Amino acid sequence: MNSFILQAQDAINRRSFLSSTSSVLGLTALNSLLAPQLLHGAVPTPNLPSFPQLPIKAKRVIYLFQSGAPSQMDLFDPKPQMQKLFGKDLPDSIRQGQRLTGMTSGQKSFPVAPSIFKFAEHGQSRATISELMPHLSTIADELCFIKSMRTDAINHDPAITFFQTGRQIPGYPSMGSWLSYGLGSENKDLPAFVVLSSFGSGRRDDQPLYDRLWGSGFLPSQYQGVKFRNTGDPVLYLSNPNGMSAATRRQSLDDLNALNHQRFGAIGDPEIQARIAQYEMAFRMQTSVPELTDFSKEPQHIIDMYGPDVKRPGSYAANCLLARRLAERDVRFVQLFHMGWDHHSGLPKAIRGQCADTDQPTTALIKDLKQRGLLDDTLIVWGGEFGRTIYSQGALTQDNYGRDHHPRCFTIFLAGGGIKPGMSIGVTDDFSYNILQDPVSIFDLHATMLNRMGIDHNRMTFKFQGLDAKLTGVEKATAVKSIML
Amino acid sequence: MRISFTLLLSIFAVPSLIAAPQEKVGFNRDIRPILSENCYYCHGPDEKHREEDLRLDIREEAIKAGAITPGNPEKSELIERIFTDDEEEIMPQPKTHKVLTAVQKDLLKRWIAEGAEYEPHWAFAVPKHPATPPVKSKAAAFGNGIDAFILQKLETENVSLSAPADPHTLIRRVTLDLTGLPPSPADVNVFVNACRNADGSGYTISKAAYEALVDRLLASPTYGENMARQWLDYARYADSHGFQTDSSRTMWPWRDWVIRAFNENKPFDQFTIEQLAGDLLPNPTNAQIVATGFHRNHRINGEGGLITEEWRIENIIDRVDTTGSTWLGLTLGCARCHDHKYDPISQKEFYQMFSFFNNIAETGVAVGALNRSGGNLDPMIRVGTEEQVTQAKELQGRIDKINATLKESEKKIAAAQSVWEKSKLSHDQTPADIKKIITSGGKRSKEQKALVDKYYRSVVDQSTKQIMAELDQLQKQLMALDKITPLTMVMKELPTPRKAFILKRGQYTDPGEEVTANTPAVLPPLPAGEPHNRLTLAKWIVSPTNPLTARVWVNRQWEHFFGYGIVKTSENFGMQSEPPTHPELLDWLATEFVSSGWDMKAMMKRMVMSATYRQASLIKTMPKVLLEKDPYNRLLARAPRLRLPAEAIRDQALSISGLLDQRIGGPSARPYMPKGVWDETSVYGDLRNYQADTNGGLYRRSLYTIWKRTAAPPTMLIFDSAAREICTVKRSSTNTPLQALALLNEVTFVEAARVLAQRMMLEGGSDPAQRIAWAFRQATQREATDEEKSLLQKSFEKSLTTYRAAPAEATKLVAAGNSPIAKVDPIELAAYTVTANVILNLDEVITRD
Repeated sequence: MNSFILQAQDAINRRSFLSSTSSVLGLTALNSLLAPQLLHGAVPTPNLPSFPQLPIKAKRVIYLFQSGAPSQMDLFDPKPQMQKLFGKDLPDSIRQGQRLTGMTSGQKSFPVAPSIFKFAEHGQSRATISELMPHLSTIADELCFIKSMRTDAINHDPAITFFQTGRQIPGYPSMGSWLSYGLGSENKDLPAFVVLSSFGSGRRDDQPLYDRLWGSGFLPSQYQGVKFRNTGDPVLYLSNPNGMSAATRRQSLDDLNALNHQRFGAIGDPEIQARIAQYEMAFRMQTSVPELTDFSKEPQHIIDMYGPDVKRPGSYAANCLLARRLAERDVRFVQLFHMGWDHHSGLPKAIRGQCADTDQPTTALIKDLKQRGLLDDTLIVWGGEFGRTIYSQGALTQDNYGRDHHPRCFTIFLAGGGIKPGMSIGVTDDFSYNILQDPVSIFDLHATMLNRMGIDHNRMTFKFQGLDAKLTGVEKATAVKSIML
Repeated sequence: MRISFTLLLSIFAVPSLIAAPQEKVGFNRDIRPILSENCYYCHGPDEKHREEDLRLDIREEAIKAGAITPGNPEKSELIERIFTDDEEEIMPQPKTHKVLTAVQKDLLKRWIAEGAEYEPHWAFAVPKHPATPPVKSKAAAFGNGIDAFILQKLETENVSLSAPADPHTLIRRVTLDLTGLPPSPADVNVFVNACRNADGSGYTISKAAYEALVDRLLASPTYGENMARQWLDYARYADSHGFQTDSSRTMWPWRDWVIRAFNENKPFDQFTIEQLAGDLLPNPTNAQIVATGFHRNHRINGEGGLITEEWRIENIIDRVDTTGSTWLGLTLGCARCHDHKYDPISQKEFYQMFSFFNNIAETGVAVGALNRSGGNLDPMIRVGTEEQVTQAKELQGRIDKINATLKESEKKIAAAQSVWEKSKLSHDQTPADIKKIITSGGKRSKEQKALVDKYYRSVVDQSTKQIMAELDQLQKQLMALDKITPLTMVMKELPTPRKAFILKRGQYTDPGEEVTANTPAVLPPLPAGEPHNRLTLAKWIVSPTNPLTARVWVNRQWEHFFGYGIVKTSENFGMQSEPPTHPELLDWLATEFVSSGWDMKAMMKRMVMSATYRQASLIKTMPKVLLEKDPYNRLLARAPRLRLPAEAIRDQALSISGLLDQRIGGPSARPYMPKGVWDETSVYGDLRNYQADTNGGLYRRSLYTIWKRTAAPPTMLIFDSAAREICTVKRSSTNTPLQALALLNEVTFVEAARVLAQRMMLEGGSDPAQRIAWAFRQATQREATDEEKSLLQKSFEKSLTTYRAAPAEATKLVAAGNSPIAKVDPIELAAYTVTANVILNLDEVITRD
């Protein structure tokens, strides 16, 4: 390579990768050609000139999204007072004109359905956890509950989109995209943003997922999440074609690189060198991904921790173990989705199944990270897209009820990554219908997560449609100080 | 590990774009971008958010408030506040995280010293037709007006255009740009030969040959397909409704209308009017009504429990946003919840625009069975010949009549059926499945009930037997007709317009003041005396006095050919847009476009005929100082190198290998897709259990690939396609390892390599050297260098050795894909397949130089 071209690279690099995007991203990693790990999703943002802006408490996130919306009053927000109101109509003073979905707005009555599950206090923090989560109860003191989450959406699609992107409408980047855009990758063999999904014992149509939930919106598409698949190649097109060995692939890549390099010599476009580097990373992924997804070297006691389901690829348990392995490899953002929490009817049976699927693996993941010293800088978030109603959707009997969507309050929990363990914030009314204390919006949650990653949410922006667009939107967002270490 | 990185300055500081020290400061070029970016958020058009009652976007207001004293920066508070060290006083306030550079502060000071003159925002003023500037350079041999503007600017930097691209590069470039497909080797030969110097000393591009080539490409039906690809992104076109269930819809007749319109070169004003308001034209043709499908392409929600009005309103807001982005380059959506922060568009004006689209005879939601099993929503139109349409109407009428008759005697039939069911004797002839349902006695499901009822009425009951047979026949006929003459969604105005209101905070639950349809005051008014409806709006959008439409369109075509628009922010021409690098050129193109009668093909031709377009894209010969000064190549001292769009990458592989199925239009195709892409995240709707086509459908152009919005075709998304959930007017262009994996391993590309390898053996000559050279020409349209040839030949020989040692592996590799395997030695074929796979992965192949 002649020396002139080396010098020219600096200038040209300014437009590499991001050349046709709508932003004012006039920068990139100048060393990128020498440091392939910077090529994939590793371009720092101009609005993070002094990153970290805040002390880094978490280096990575594992988001355990419970898709469909788990019932807060059957899991974490006990309302024993409701027992004596069994079957009584929800008072108007509580409903306060709250809009209802079309599934229950036509109901003649809104009968209170007390949870049939028993609650107990656990750990020194005396966290209230229902009998549905016996494993989680053993690590209550690691967890930080927010019982006062709220959202504006009452249908699944907009609500889950809101959680993932900060907007109810499509077109905006997901959390993981923002973070890989802002912070880049720390692993040169794996993507910075990985998505895992699972179905459990629940109805498989509760609820679907959408590409946009890990999409990059208006950010360049290299920041979109890489969804690991449960059938076939874990990453699309990872395997060489049938009949092509790794050795043949290596040889053909060497030849391809040599040809591309000659072309670079003739043209002088560093984009060609960037492409060579991408092919090399692709080749490394062909080794690193199968190695990542191969659990055969996990000792039996670890396998046992996650439970029997861990052997079924694409189960929540397998994904939790995979999440730990991704965290060990410094993958920035692991977005896990577990479907099946949308319990409009037959809730008691269905929620038992969901909890059986998830309770032990969630607990195992947190314990496993802890015993490896990874929990301190891994931020765990568990929760769904909204809550559920205290009143029954459909018929209420002594041992059966359903619950409709409820946006005004629900419970999530966090752990690790600079979050205070063994605490709870937020208080809801007797019906778990309205927040009485410490409301936390989705924007506040996002601001808190970014804060723990060392980012001031007001300063991670991207020019879009003339605006400095942020994950946390235009309304005021505040990181929740009281839960931060 | 800490990431080490170096930060560069914002591109607002591209040196060649700012006033030189001796030059007069220009408001539009130099000052507005600074004020808009740093000040207007609090001191701009949004009244509710304005601080200290100061607005800086209107000169008189800024002077009255003392912020600006023209000619006297020392007496201007604005200057004082931006230069102060006092943290309490300094502007912009530190909490905004906005910092003015020394250059920007100096510009503001000079501007006030020079009189603080404002200019109307360039994009809101009607473009004037500038004269083409005189140029000294002779570089623009057989160029056109475009080159005069480009050279004028280049000459101020003491540089000129690069040498013309060689004919191989040029024919590949122009063919891919205009049709999305590579040129055929025969076309390359003809063109290259026409450009060969008589003395054999190389090439000179022949104007006649090049112009003939361009004309032929513009006349090719593949041109319309390529233009449609871009338009489908704007129109958020898809084969599914989006949202939770994401079931199917039929909008391909609209897509085919778009392809046809581009190929017929329908003038852009007519193209616009028909899509926005074809239904309101006097005596509209069927095709003009189909065109209005543009604004039925948005997503439609059908989630259980949704509130209808919320989603009808969301759809209309989508239409306003899409209209603004597609035609006007405005971010109207920013004024949904409050007045626009930067542009003079109030929230009220947003809902006035909303009102134009509020009167469609639609529910706005797909509920119940429709949500689950797919299908279109009213209003719809049948696409077919007049005869077919009449026939369908007639069939439907007869079906309705029979159903009505059956309903009338429903009770009587049910009673008789009940008697029949109870009499065991009569069941001897009854088929087992029916018998089982009847005798099981339990509660019947809907399907079971339908099955038994149908059997009884069409077989047992003599009074209904005949009409049931007739009904069956009619339904079959209608279904057959549906297949060839589908229904497609269109616009249809309600007889009485719905009322429209300002929605406070953009919420459907919170209507405020009532509004009527109108356009924003900052733009020219609607013509007096015309009704304020969609048709008038459409005509207004393409009226010659609309300052935006023509500029927006020519700028996007410019972006298509040159990598960046003349206005880089091709999605936004508002205050926050980047000023044009060549404002006179933009206005010249826009006014030429309008005066040509909005002739799209003529404008495309003008751009590709320019010397600017035809120059080489070599970077290594660029002067270093120019690369530093113009890193983004905005001055165009060379042609850009652009990675091909997602669709073109796949289409090209099909074309080079000879697999491409060139049929135009029709229902969407189902090419290969990895197992589970649709089903792993959803078991809703009717778009499940993907089955790839088994014939030509595997090899259709990518714009025909079935598009399920929530799980779009992976190889398209990997190469930066839009997701088609909302209007997208600009894609990113990235370079990632997933792209490498797709090109190396996805079955389409592996099959393309294998079929290309077959052709190497059958058509490419008799020895490896000839065959490799042949394949290289097929893929790149040029002769490989000796070095390249030798490298590829060695590569081939290594593969051949490998496969000789492992013949079973060879058989597996050549089995890729569904197309027949040629009767050649599979070992050799496998080795050539590896070579072809390398060739199809070359950077040069997926890039247009």
